[in-house]
Amino acid sequence: MSELTILTKAMFRERKDIAIAMAGGFVAGIGGVSLFSASGYLISQTVFAPPLYTLIVLISIVKILGLLRAVSRYAERLYTHQATFSILSRLRTSFFAKLVPMAPGRLRTQRSGDLLARIVGDVESLQHYFLRVAYPPVVLVMVFLATVLFASVYSIWIAGLLVLGMLVVVFIVPAIILQGQRKIRGRVRQQRAALSTDATEMLYGFLELKVYGKLRKREQQLLESSDALASEQRAAGLQLLNGQSLHTFVSFLIAWSVLVLGGYLIMRGSLAGVFLAMLIMAALTVFEEAAAMATLPAYKQDSQHAAQRLAETVQDGEAEPRQPEASLRSDTAPSIELSGVSFQYADEWRPALRDVHIRIPAGSKAAIVGASGSGKTTIIELLLKLHAPNEGLIRMNDTPLEELHEASIWQSAAVVLQQSHFFRGTIRDNLLLNGDMLSEEELRDVLVKAGLPYKSLDDLVYERGENLSDGEKQRLALARAMAKGGHLWLLDEPTSSLDVVTEQHIYRQLFEQAAGDTLVLICHRLSGLESMDQIIVMDQGTIVEAGTYGELMDKEGFFYEMKQIERQLIGEGG
Amino acid sequence: MKRKQTLLSELMSEQRRSMIVLTGVSLALGAAIIGQAALLSEAVNRIFVMHADLSSIVFLLGSLLAVMLARALLAYGNGRIGLYMAARAKRTMREKLIRKLANDSVSATAGGQTGGKVSLMLDAVDEGEGYFSQYLPRMIEAAVIPLLMLGVVFAWHYPSGIIMLVTAPFIPIFMVLVGLKTKKKSEEKVEQLSQFAGTFLDSLQGLVTLKLYGRARSQEQEIERSSLAFRDATMGILKIAFTNTFMLELIVMLSIGLVSLELALQLVVFQSMSFHTAFFVLLLVPEFFSLLKNTGTAFHSGRTSMGAMRKVEQLLEERKGEGQTGTERTTVQPGEEGLMLGPMPPNIQLNDVRFQYAPDSFKLYVEKLTIEPGGKIAIVGKSGAGKTTLLHLIAGLLPSDSGDIQLNGRPYEMYKRSSWFEGMSYITQHPYIFSGTLAENIAIGTNRAVNRSEVEQAAASAGLAEMIGGLEKGFDTLVGEGGRGLSGGEKQRLALARAFLNQPAVILFDEPTVGLDVHTEKVLQRSISELAEQATMITVAHRLYTIREADLILYVENGLLLGSGKHDELVECLPAYAEMVHLQRKGRAG
Repeated sequence: MSELTILTKAMFRERKDIAIAMAGGFVAGIGGVSLFSASGYLISQTVFAPPLYTLIVLISIVKILGLLRAVSRYAERLYTHQATFSILSRLRTSFFAKLVPMAPGRLRTQRSGDLLARIVGDVESLQHYFLRVAYPPVVLVMVFLATVLFASVYSIWIAGLLVLGMLVVVFIVPAIILQGQRKIRGRVRQQRAALSTDATEMLYGFLELKVYGKLRKREQQLLESSDALASEQRAAGLQLLNGQSLHTFVSFLIAWSVLVLGGYLIMRGSLAGVFLAMLIMAALTVFEEAAAMATLPAYKQDSQHAAQRLAETVQDGEAEPRQPEASLRSDTAPSIELSGVSFQYADEWRPALRDVHIRIPAGSKAAIVGASGSGKTTIIELLLKLHAPNEGLIRMNDTPLEELHEASIWQSAAVVLQQSHFFRGTIRDNLLLNGDMLSEEELRDVLVKAGLPYKSLDDLVYERGENLSDGEKQRLALARAMAKGGHLWLLDEPTSSLDVVTEQHIYRQLFEQAAGDTLVLICHRLSGLESMDQIIVMDQGTIVEAGTYGELMDKEGFFYEMKQIERQLIGEGG
Repeated sequence: MKRKQTLLSELMSEQRRSMIVLTGVSLALGAAIIGQAALLSEAVNRIFVMHADLSSIVFLLGSLLAVMLARALLAYGNGRIGLYMAARAKRTMREKLIRKLANDSVSATAGGQTGGKVSLMLDAVDEGEGYFSQYLPRMIEAAVIPLLMLGVVFAWHYPSGIIMLVTAPFIPIFMVLVGLKTKKKSEEKVEQLSQFAGTFLDSLQGLVTLKLYGRARSQEQEIERSSLAFRDATMGILKIAFTNTFMLELIVMLSIGLVSLELALQLVVFQSMSFHTAFFVLLLVPEFFSLLKNTGTAFHSGRTSMGAMRKVEQLLEERKGEGQTGTERTTVQPGEEGLMLGPMPPNIQLNDVRFQYAPDSFKLYVEKLTIEPGGKIAIVGKSGAGKTTLLHLIAGLLPSDSGDIQLNGRPYEMYKRSSWFEGMSYITQHPYIFSGTLAENIAIGTNRAVNRSEVEQAAASAGLAEMIGGLEKGFDTLVGEGGRGLSGGEKQRLALARAFLNQPAVILFDEPTVGLDVHTEKVLQRSISELAEQATMITVAHRLYTIREADLILYVENGLLLGSGKHDELVECLPAYAEMVHLQRKGRAG
């Protein structure tokens, strides 16, 4: 279980904070027990009408103990939280490092957004493992043992009773709760997921449901699953409550037993009566310190579940093959050849590419066209070595891709993906992703070329580029690629949200910069393809045609038909 | 509007009985706590001071154990009531949300943010639970039990009572102060915090980009840096909270210390009280303060819950404000009774119809529009002109703000709603595939009972036969969420199959703009005209052949019906229309 190793490692790194926290927690716990035992002793002493000064000494001790307890509690809180956040930071970086080789492969699922949010949430619930699961029992056992030691000075039997109580409260009661909880919380999760899916379906399919008169039925279904969820959540709450009540009763029972046993020992003459109140107070207080144990099972289960899910996600990443040493020459335009390439995504039921043959000579320009879902994007992903083909061979400069280091391909490629990601920061931050130092002048020039002359380098970009329009995002992505440069251009529908005029302006700049480079362009429009060296037409994962614009139009085949359909389109289509 | 009541007060009104029971149980719990202290001190007194034999106090010890058991059970009871109230409140909140969302007009759901709404229904409602399961029980306990204790202590030994009475108010006051101060500090830092907190997710989402640009390594440092910055910012806030808690604990300690000092003085110096009483008070005082301290934590969780409930309330309210007249109209209308529409396409007429999504958004206005039965209507216009809105208005999917829509010469509202929708099929740009089998997904198109061969027939007409035939499980293949994914073209054909099964009198069709494969395009062209033979067909058109073949073209611009007629007529007399058709084609040909 690698994620637990990561967690342990992270906790070990924070050992200094944890040690201070534990010391604080221990002193605070003992302080509480001593405080109340001392008060009990104080009261009992008064029965013998002692001189006033002993009383004053005792009272001062009580006061000092109170202060000590408050101070060390403060230190405990401070350092446990400090450690928790440091652990979180370490967890994040470790998991990030593990996830890097896995992207986009395993992280590419239908709802990858949810998956990533889940990873973030799971890593966050792992942080509770320290504060709520690992830490409390350790400190508690220390406090208990100290109390037992103290009690054993007066009576070994009462000390034994406390040990028994400790075993029940720290180990047996949580184990019982955990046992029943596993099933119930599993059911709660299931019901939650069901309600979430149903609600999402109703909202996305609202129009269809309304027109087809199925809305009432869906509403009824949703209400039922909401009821089911409420009942399961209540059951889970009751399970936790049972544990808490059991915990309370056990601590009362132990205090009561101390009373009875103490009474018996006093009667037998083996214990002085003056200590009875003190021991009872000690027993009552030490169990109060144990209150955190009652919520422990809930956290334990949550973090175990999180760890398990993370393990499932991360597992394959560890088996990532080592990258070969050979690298792609970055000073010349590469040639590309795909022969008999087939590929199927792990989560898909039909192949994305079937027996694809493509030859793109060095320095030539190729366009790939086809309907959405015909496999165009997959070709670019394979060229970038983000996935490996199931069958067939891809060569760059006549070297098979599997013999090339992936980073060397990325370094010589200027890429625009269909969905570009932008980070929180400035336009400059989002341009300089490659780390190269370009002058201010050059950067601004790139912005102008990409059709963003009105943006300044210091303009803010929100997370995921939320403050940019779709068109601006595409232009910024193009600017990023142009700033980076390279002799291999891979562009996936880079201008689908732009109007024709802007598109042509940008293409002019782009083709000027890419003159002599190898370029693969996936396009959604069939216009402006006359200058391409070849057009590759795809349908359902296969290549149906390839050739120059003139050849394909003369042939009156698939491309010609697509062109005819496009001619029919008016409105948003353009 | 009589609905001035807030969501919380509405939820509370259901809980009245539980609140009474809660108060009763809390009273009993208070009695048990006091009883426990009394019996325990009595037992110690007997054993220690009076040297009583154990056997002589068996009854006393037995009662003590019984009271302890009772106390645990009563506390359990309060917890149970809290959970019951929480379950009930959550059920009510979700029911309101579900009903609201299900009864919204199409415009409201088109607003997107599906994820946000779903998370509201799940997470915000769950967060609201704390108010009922924690806040209310703790608050009632804190209101009832300490008073009971004070009364008893006053009766037994009033000086301690006075100390308790004087120091007690400091605790809730301090708690509230802590809360407010922390809140202020965290509000100051909220921007910073959210920035740091988002970096991890942001980096994961951009992982591919980071890899391609060779920045994955350096991003790791960025994550560490922002996580640590987040830690430091949060610790800044927590330090304030912890310092205040520290002060609070000092107050409690001080108060307990004061009471014990006073007790000791009474016992030794003035010799005015018994050990029994002193021990009893000493047992009760910490319980008294810890109950008060509980209110602080409860107060905190109560606030969080109320914040979450406000979010739920906002969604409920927001819908109400939006298109108010419209929503009222749809709910006021009987809808489920009234005239039936026959199987023949009706004559549809719009008079002076106005519609607006929100006060500031664009207006749609149709002065007069008649759609003959069996007509082929094409709605044309630039993007954002209001084409889909017009389609929805004609279909009765959006309620008009004013004016009227008539079917066969009678107001739309007089008809039974389901009879109107039953005769209608709607093929959207992005048809939604429900999670279920292919057969179920096709059968959703009609309310009739259909057999398998009818479904197969419909699928064949929509050009799906080959694809489905190639599947191992055929029509029983699971699709949609958790099932097999379909391509855009296949979804479009599936929506067609739904329409074929329904044999509608009216077809609404939002033509897809891009991205269809040649096969689907051909199927669409062929089968739409087949479907439309017996039906009225209203299309938001993006294809020239659809427009050319239309009996009536409606050209929409900025929400206004600028012109209507046949293609050739419009090209001649409506420059805007001619320009649009011309320009688009020219742009593409280049």
